[in-house]
Amino acid sequence: MSRPLMSDIITVKNLVEVYSDGTKAVDDISFSVAEGEFFGFLGPNGAGKSTTIKILTTLLRKTSGTVTVAGFDVEKQAAAIRRIIGVQSQDTTVDGDLTGRENIMLQGHFHQMKTDEIKKRVNELLKLVGLEEAAEKRARNYSGGMKKRLDLATALVHKPKILFLDEPTTGLDPQSRSAIWTYLEKLNREEGITIFLTTQYLEEADKLCKRLSIIDKGKIVASGSPAELKREIGADSIRISLENCKKDNAKAKELIKTLNDVNEIIDSEECLTVFAKNAGLLIADIVRALDSSDIRIASVTFSSPSLDDVFIKHTGKRIRTEELVKAPSAMLGGRR
Amino acid sequence: MTLLSDTRYVFIRYMRKLVRNPILLFFSLFQPILFLALFTQLLGRLSNFPGVLPVGVSYLEFAAAGILLQNAFGSALQSGNSIVADIDSGFLHKMLVTPMSRPAILLGRLASDAFRVVVQTAIILALAYGIGAAENSPFTVNTGVIGILLIFFTIAFFGLAWSGISLALGMKTRSAETVFAIGGVITFPLLFLSSALLPINFLPGWVQTVSKFNPVSYAVDACRVLMINGYDWGTILPAWGVIGLVAVITLGATLYQFRKVVS
Repeated sequence: MSRPLMSDIITVKNLVEVYSDGTKAVDDISFSVAEGEFFGFLGPNGAGKSTTIKILTTLLRKTSGTVTVAGFDVEKQAAAIRRIIGVQSQDTTVDGDLTGRENIMLQGHFHQMKTDEIKKRVNELLKLVGLEEAAEKRARNYSGGMKKRLDLATALVHKPKILFLDEPTTGLDPQSRSAIWTYLEKLNREEGITIFLTTQYLEEADKLCKRLSIIDKGKIVASGSPAELKREIGADSIRISLENCKKDNAKAKELIKTLNDVNEIIDSEECLTVFAKNAGLLIADIVRALDSSDIRIASVTFSSPSLDDVFIKHTGKRIRTEELVKAPSAMLGGRR
Repeated sequence: MTLLSDTRYVFIRYMRKLVRNPILLFFSLFQPILFLALFTQLLGRLSNFPGVLPVGVSYLEFAAAGILLQNAFGSALQSGNSIVADIDSGFLHKMLVTPMSRPAILLGRLASDAFRVVVQTAIILALAYGIGAAENSPFTVNTGVIGILLIFFTIAFFGLAWSGISLALGMKTRSAETVFAIGGVITFPLLFLSSALLPINFLPGWVQTVSKFNPVSYAVDACRVLMINGYDWGTILPAWGVIGLVAVITLGATLYQFRKVVS
């Protein structure tokens, strides 16, 4: 069997998954993930994210297409793949009757590690996810965030080369979410683990993923780094408010218009909004130009286009995210 | 060997879950006690009527084997419940993404079922001994320690065959309620249309006929002869054969459903 280039640790070509009821969950997608990359699938519920992850992690048979993980065929060499991947599924799957430590130990045994080796590793992991103090308590009594962190630790026990995370922070409060983000960035940066993550949160994809694909209705509609994707949208926006907007408005417009790279200037709530390709570079020029003409600036804010804008551009709709407050009921009813 | 060590860890997990669930543990231990106390108190006077029970046999001695079987039924039904819980929670998937041996997932569960039912059987026998002593009609297993081990084996074997039904149903329906409902509907007729709790010649003709084809009767008779008569291989071996046949069917169905869940 020919191995793909070492740099690509996951390759997916023309993957199709049709469920027995005829639903096309994944509709001819192709992508690859480089070794050491932090790669994301961003899309709404039911877009095909979980289905793809189940195929990549050997849980689900594909209908057609070619999928390799670390050079191994996902169906013919499933056993080899299972040794080197760590998986955190969408449902938090810790055993509530076992303690935190026992949960990780058990997963280590399932990976056929030696007991001494597991014991050492468990201590490292408990420290990593900040559960040292709760280690001997039954997981049943953990908070939602603690359970997710424990779940993450169980997925890491055998030092996987690739970590698959299916919506790792869905239903978590912002504080727990940012704690998980910190661990994930650390794992990717310090241990070089390739991470494949699915999410319906724009902010999460934006913050964590070096590269991502936007998936909707089983199809990949756009791929690239968050910055690249947003650049497609075109312009950043600079909102400027002036101390005396009425008096200086016209003069300010004249001055800004002469600067390079300005796409458009419009009147807005604050006073003026400037659209430009590279707003970051332009701000200094604007401030200098206005200041030298004695126009006093009250504030300048600058914003890049968001992934939401990207999603809207490609699908014509906003990505619908479950609200945090609704998450518990959605988790109860949303199981398939 | 990974099959054995993986089975061991699955077994330990289920044991921990059992011991740490006070309600489950309570019912596991007290259900057999309750059955034994209830039936021997309700029907104890049967031995006062000549010709109903064999000469010199108390109802306690007669019914103990039936109680053992009834208890095995109840225990086995919880097996399907546990697989449904593991599928629902995603824990099954968590096991399946590791290189662990697939059969170990089932074997560990079955081993924990067998272990539990043997412990319960030991409790019932000990309690029967206590009740017998208190009522001045001694309860003993005539075949001694080896006989007791053979009873353990028979009950555990029967329990496994029955776990197969609840596991297959659990994986097919993915509903603990359905497992209990269907399990209950099958269990009670099988139990009462057998020689488990009443002497066979005491039952109506059609029940006697049904009873002859009822695997429960075979299993009960095997345990009963070991307690009352001795090593009556003519009763014991056919019982194992019948249980084996049931096990092949139910565990075959379990394996079939498991393959569907796993792939």
